[in-house]
Amino acid sequence: MKRIDSVIDFISGRNFRKGWHVFIIAFFLIFVILPTVYILTYAYTEWSAIESGVLDNKDTMDLIMGSIAASFEIAAIVTVIDFAVGLPMAWMLVRKKFRGKNFVDTLIDMPLAVPTAALGFSSAIFWATTPPAMNAPPFAFGAITSPMLLIILLHIVFSYPYMVRSLSAILEQIDETYEIAGQTLGASKLTAVRTITLPLFRAGLITGIILCFSRSLSETGGTMIALATMANSAGFNTGPTLIGTWKKLSATNPELVPQLAFVSILLIIVALVLLIVLKVVVMKVRLPMGKVWPTPEKILSRGLVPKLKDGSAIFFLAVFVLIPSFFIFTFVLTSSPSVGDWGPFAGSLGYSFLIAAVVTAIDLGLGIPLAMYIARSGSRKVSHALDVLVNVPLIVPTAALGFSLGQFWTDQSLIPSVPMLLIIMAHVAFTYPLVVRNVAGAVEEIDPSYEETARTLGAKPVQGFRRVLYPMIKSSILAGAIMAFTRSLGETGATQAVVSDVVTAPVYIVDLVNSGQYYLAGLACIILIIVSYAAMLLLRYVTKKKRGAI
Amino acid sequence: MPDIRLEDVHKRYDGIKAADGLDFSVRDGEYVCLLGPTGAGKTTALRIMAGLTEPDSGKVLFDGKDVTSVEPEDRKAVLLSQTYSLFPQMTVAENILFGPNIRNWPEEARVKTLANMLDLVRLTRRSDAYPRELSGGMQQRTALARALASGAKVLLLDEPLRALDARLRISLRHDLRSLAKSLRITTIHVTHDQDEALVMADRIAVVRNGRVLQMDTPKEVFDRPVSPFVANFVGQSNFFQGSVSRVDGSIEVRDEQGRKVFARETAVSPGEKVVVGVKVGNTEIAKEREGYLQGIVERILFEGRNLFIDVMVSGLGRFSSRMPAVKKGEFAVGDKVSIRWTPDKATVFTLKDKSLDDELRVE
Repeated sequence: MKRIDSVIDFISGRNFRKGWHVFIIAFFLIFVILPTVYILTYAYTEWSAIESGVLDNKDTMDLIMGSIAASFEIAAIVTVIDFAVGLPMAWMLVRKKFRGKNFVDTLIDMPLAVPTAALGFSSAIFWATTPPAMNAPPFAFGAITSPMLLIILLHIVFSYPYMVRSLSAILEQIDETYEIAGQTLGASKLTAVRTITLPLFRAGLITGIILCFSRSLSETGGTMIALATMANSAGFNTGPTLIGTWKKLSATNPELVPQLAFVSILLIIVALVLLIVLKVVVMKVRLPMGKVWPTPEKILSRGLVPKLKDGSAIFFLAVFVLIPSFFIFTFVLTSSPSVGDWGPFAGSLGYSFLIAAVVTAIDLGLGIPLAMYIARSGSRKVSHALDVLVNVPLIVPTAALGFSLGQFWTDQSLIPSVPMLLIIMAHVAFTYPLVVRNVAGAVEEIDPSYEETARTLGAKPVQGFRRVLYPMIKSSILAGAIMAFTRSLGETGATQAVVSDVVTAPVYIVDLVNSGQYYLAGLACIILIIVSYAAMLLLRYVTKKKRGAI
Repeated sequence: MPDIRLEDVHKRYDGIKAADGLDFSVRDGEYVCLLGPTGAGKTTALRIMAGLTEPDSGKVLFDGKDVTSVEPEDRKAVLLSQTYSLFPQMTVAENILFGPNIRNWPEEARVKTLANMLDLVRLTRRSDAYPRELSGGMQQRTALARALASGAKVLLLDEPLRALDARLRISLRHDLRSLAKSLRITTIHVTHDQDEALVMADRIAVVRNGRVLQMDTPKEVFDRPVSPFVANFVGQSNFFQGSVSRVDGSIEVRDEQGRKVFARETAVSPGEKVVVGVKVGNTEIAKEREGYLQGIVERILFEGRNLFIDVMVSGLGRFSSRMPAVKKGEFAVGDKVSIRWTPDKATVFTLKDKSLDDELRVE
């Protein structure tokens, strides 16, 4: 007891607190932000290598430009579709009461529980024309021959839930009485919604767009698997899959490094520029929402049209999101079992779990203090800057992030470049923001007077956190932890880009598909789905419990 | 219980002076109200005493000892926020025992303290309830009990009655003050409600723009305000601007149109530009009597116990008078009336470079 007291006294001291803040911010900058964008310096230091290896080589240049253009095109199309079909769904979930609403609400989140590698496999079997050796079930759609279209369909599956969730979160906060007031003043439902509610939507829209766009831009594992599954996808690449492929080859062919660096730099810069442009455009540009067309809008507000809209929202969810997500189960059930060696998969699964666990522990240990600093103690300018920086690793495509981080740590040789350590650091970089944002958001919601009162009652800062604040934000901490854990578990791009020859579970599945062992890949996907789904259920259980208690 | 002293305390937030040379003392066991408009710096003063805000310069002394850089948890000065900040995940009993638990008191002492505190605030039967299940008054009592149980020597109350409904607010004024007085705890109570301050405080400190304008007993602050702002903020006042025309026993002030009014003697010299302030309750109006000023009744407001009559005086604006409600019916809108007051009830102020409007502005 005595020893604990003296520890509490020590860490409550003003000097320790100051030092601790410096350490936390330094960790964030040095271990998260700097490695994420480190590769940008390569453009200065090794420009000649880029020039001779990339710019002067027309074929390489075309390949790179084509892939990156494809990445951004896909991300843009996916985001637009997500918005168009996500808005009616979000609307239904928040504003309408219907039987089975809770059920639909749960269904929306299902794809989030499925690692993208499994999603890629599952969607490709459903949508794409597959090689005959695969024996896809006869009731699969099986007619998509364009790789680009397939990838768009795939990315919709896992980005759709983010859009619906972002939009419905903000919709819940918008008071319905505005709309009702508009209607009592003579506006039709559609006019009221369009002119009053939608303009209040911007914040949610930005979150939704950024999440969808960056997820689509980042995605590697699922995309690679989908392309490998489909027949005749040869030659089609997105930015991240290009990084994955080249990084693998670069183990034997170091001449590929300038090309890798160039792709990564382009992806990072364009992603960051887009982030800024999006923020400015969505916040500053005023759409001419004021204009009204009373008669047509009145007609559209009644009768068949709204029903059609809701019906098609559900239809979209079922056909374009849910069926592709879980089609893999039918594939495994209808294929003839093949015997395989489960040892490597079990090993890779264990490896993935270990990494995810360590990553989550680091995220929590160092992310909660940063979240506290952003939400509470820091000066407004510093915490605002940190708040913006935290988003950077979320926006940067993980494959580019992984490559950049790998270069950073091998160049610095500050730490031994052990593969596992590098992978952990890469995963920390892109999962850390998830914990920080969740926790900082929760802490900001809580009136600081609780902790302050606790302090005047005699609690040291640590005791105040432990006894007063922690019980209030527990579920958000857990939510952040589970998100970080599942993201780490499902990540392919960053892993491949940071170390070329390490096999985590998703990377292993990619290899299985590439070598044509479809049945095993399917089973491995299902195991991964079940594990992730269990984590998801735990999250739901905990957050529900919290809602019930307060 | 300690006496508290603030010495020339300054604090700026983004260019706003929240404390601009705060300098005052609170005696041992005294009940002091910090009274001022929103944004005057009252809460900042309270937080500086609690140790939650560090002043840019200046000192805070408890019992003569400099505690400026002592952590809040070591001051025994408990802050009660407007919403009480009862910990929602803890019951009444757990909330009350928060301080003793943190300090690791022996079990026996905890049990005894809890029983005493529950008894003191009459919540023994609700000890297992959660804060959200309690009424506003009970929540406030729980918060008080929690503060006392932690061994508080100073109570820092930030608008403690604000969240309660009007009737309860008035009845709790007495309870709160007598509890603090009976335990001889030094109490600093922040409020923007002048009635509350007048009823509850041993002394009132009127705060504006991060400074204490006047610190005195309620009676003195009310009857002998040091500035037009204090005169108007603590009990509304009427003002008359002019120059001193005669000083003998009382002071005669005349405006440009030759209207003259009288006020209590102060150190001013003939010819000086001054403002005369008189409380609305001391402003008399009559139909058949000579007065200082003439005007027309513009509006009559009946507020239960009192009657408020606004009289428009041409060229000077509106003068208000408060009188007992029994006078209802004596005046009607449009009546010609005269305005006067007992010279001893009116105060003469000198304005330096400020206009009267600036002086009276409540930010």
